[in-house]
Amino acid sequence: MSYTDAFFYFFAALTVGSALVVTFSRSVIYAAFALLFTFLGVAGLYVLLQADFLAVAQIMVYVGGILILLLFGVMLTTRVTNAEITTGTVQGLPATVVVGILLGTLILLVSRATWNVQESLPDVTGTTTEIGERLLTTFLLPFEIAGILLLVAIMGAAMIARSTDKTKEAA
Amino acid sequence: MESLLTSILGTNLLTTVIYCALPLVFVLTYALIAVLGEVKISAWMQDRLGPMRTGPWGIIQPLADVLKLLQKEDITPSASDKFLFNLAPFVTFMGSYAAFAAVPFSSQYIGASLDLGIFYVFAVGSIGVVGLMMAGWSSNNKYSMYGAMRSVAQIVSYEVPAAMALMIIVIYTGTLNLQDIIVAQGGGIWNWFVFGGPKADVVLASGRELQASWANLVFLPLFLATFVMYYVSALAETNRTPFDIPEAESELVSGYHTEYSGMKFAMFFMAEYANMFLVSVVASIAFFGGWQSPYGTTIGALVGVPWLSPVEEFLWLAFKGFFFVFVMIWLRWTLPRLRVDQLMYMCWKVLIPFSFGIALVVGFLVMIM
Amino acid sequence: MSGYFTDIKDGIWTVLVGMTITWKHMFVKKVTIQYPDVKRELPDRVRNRLYVNMDDCIGCDQCAKACPVNCITIETLKALPTDDLGSTSTGNKKRLWMPVFDIDIAKCCYCGLCVFPCPTECIEMTDVFEFSEYHRKDLVYHFGTMTPEEITVKRAEVEEYQREQDAKKAAAAAAAAAAKKAEADAAAAAKASEAANIPPDTTAPVS
Repeated sequence: MSYTDAFFYFFAALTVGSALVVTFSRSVIYAAFALLFTFLGVAGLYVLLQADFLAVAQIMVYVGGILILLLFGVMLTTRVTNAEITTGTVQGLPATVVVGILLGTLILLVSRATWNVQESLPDVTGTTTEIGERLLTTFLLPFEIAGILLLVAIMGAAMIARSTDKTKEAA
Repeated sequence: MESLLTSILGTNLLTTVIYCALPLVFVLTYALIAVLGEVKISAWMQDRLGPMRTGPWGIIQPLADVLKLLQKEDITPSASDKFLFNLAPFVTFMGSYAAFAAVPFSSQYIGASLDLGIFYVFAVGSIGVVGLMMAGWSSNNKYSMYGAMRSVAQIVSYEVPAAMALMIIVIYTGTLNLQDIIVAQGGGIWNWFVFGGPKADVVLASGRELQASWANLVFLPLFLATFVMYYVSALAETNRTPFDIPEAESELVSGYHTEYSGMKFAMFFMAEYANMFLVSVVASIAFFGGWQSPYGTTIGALVGVPWLSPVEEFLWLAFKGFFFVFVMIWLRWTLPRLRVDQLMYMCWKVLIPFSFGIALVVGFLVMIM
Repeated sequence: MSGYFTDIKDGIWTVLVGMTITWKHMFVKKVTIQYPDVKRELPDRVRNRLYVNMDDCIGCDQCAKACPVNCITIETLKALPTDDLGSTSTGNKKRLWMPVFDIDIAKCCYCGLCVFPCPTECIEMTDVFEFSEYHRKDLVYHFGTMTPEEITVKRAEVEEYQREQDAKKAAAAAAAAAAKKAEADAAAAAKASEAANIPPDTTAPVS
């Protein structure tokens, strides 16, 4: 077993283990913090797949953005000093059915798909330049559309969050 | 340097471990010096002498402080969330230390010469933010909680102008690689980005050629403003005065690490100082030529001693880093603390519009030149 | 809008001004006094640790009475007529032995009220302020000059003297009483004999 293999198993265990905590933990806070390690593990797996840009983007977006937002949401919407923020199990039967269908579909897809299996990874040193070039040439339109979509989302969020008090607006 | 270490040690694994631990050695030493600097400079600026009794002029005071912290009782509050409480310092320090992997300490030593450089440094910084959140929440103390919330809100806000400021340099150089950014500033003090960037064509470490001429002087005011913006955002990101609202001793006791004691407190302290040095070193890399000497060459290269050059380069980088840490301390004893609304005003209404504006102008200039 | 830019300009400018000030202060002469090595010069009339010059003390107890926190304890013994305690530097004759003269400096509030009533100016406040101790009892200063043996001996002597005096006094009183009685008896006898011869004088004092 090479170092790479050892790292792969480490990151895989980290990802799966913390994902299990996210799923089964009854405390929302624990779930949110466990998510940090899931994201880190996934980033590690990306690095092992030589997708370094994706790995760093994963940390930047998910840890730096989404996780923080999630934690803020949890902490601001409940009593902050109360450690007992828990989730309960409701709607057992419909949830089981829906999850069962989803799981079946996924298993079917995974087993039917034709995977492009290679003996070894192509020797790539740094994907950043190529991603940058592709984004601004071949995939310019989707890139711009995604940008505009995000801009619209930000403006919409600002609009919703804005005070509706007319007197304040006038001032 | 990696090959040299391997040839000495014989094994790859040991080399990797030593290679990873070198910045740690540096950060620990630096933290001692910075702590001493903090107490001494604060004392001098207030017409005091500072610690004088531990060693000549009190220079081994930080060592005594470390000894004290080691001996201190490690208290875990009974109402805290034990697991997260104990985990938080490590997550925070990991976030600070991980960023050093991409910092080029000299032309020969860099943990990982990533193409992603700046992007990576920014991304791993956010892991530390989660650590702060963890510390604040698990302490089960309102001061810690508010400190953590303020800290995180502040760091997340100021990440935008800081990243935009560095993005302006990236627009100019066309690379995220920190080593490349430094190489672009070689050849003398006038080629540093704070003075408008290179004035003659340079070949980057990645082999790409960067066209430049004396017309680049038009960038001088732009990059100078960018540097100021980056430095201000960096101050806010490291929770230093005048942006030390999260740690405001007089209102929040000391923010997220109120409940911590002993070595766990020391970990936070270390993380904070490591962060200070990180932003200082990034400022010196992006705007002040990193490990480049101001006269464009090294004494080692001049006298023909090849091993001297990397050492010199390292010293230049350390010197620049220390200088910006000194300016942080200087500012701390000069300015009063901002209010939260002033802080947010500064970020969203001053720094961000300006950084976007400058980015636009620089992009345009790069396109036409 | 112009206010916005002026604010930014002012912000940067004032920060630079402030930094110049702190920079200059880095090099001015420091005000710190390196205390145990260098000591501050104290004013002439500082009030710190109390000192009693026992050669001058006459044991008048005035200082103990003046003390608002009762930190001075004085016990005195009358000197025997045969004892010679000498006299103070101000010429007052000393008439009291002082087995106990204690000052509990831990209680002292440094008001200096004990200093003024002293007739011989033997109690004073010095400029010594470093007298911390490991035990509180060490802060009780014993100014008494007599050794415990001397005290026991003297006490016994004084008691003996006192007893003698008492005995003398009692004897004297008894003698006086006897004399009085005899006198009275004599007077009564005389009266009786007079009454027989002369009519009583109404103006005579009634004894």
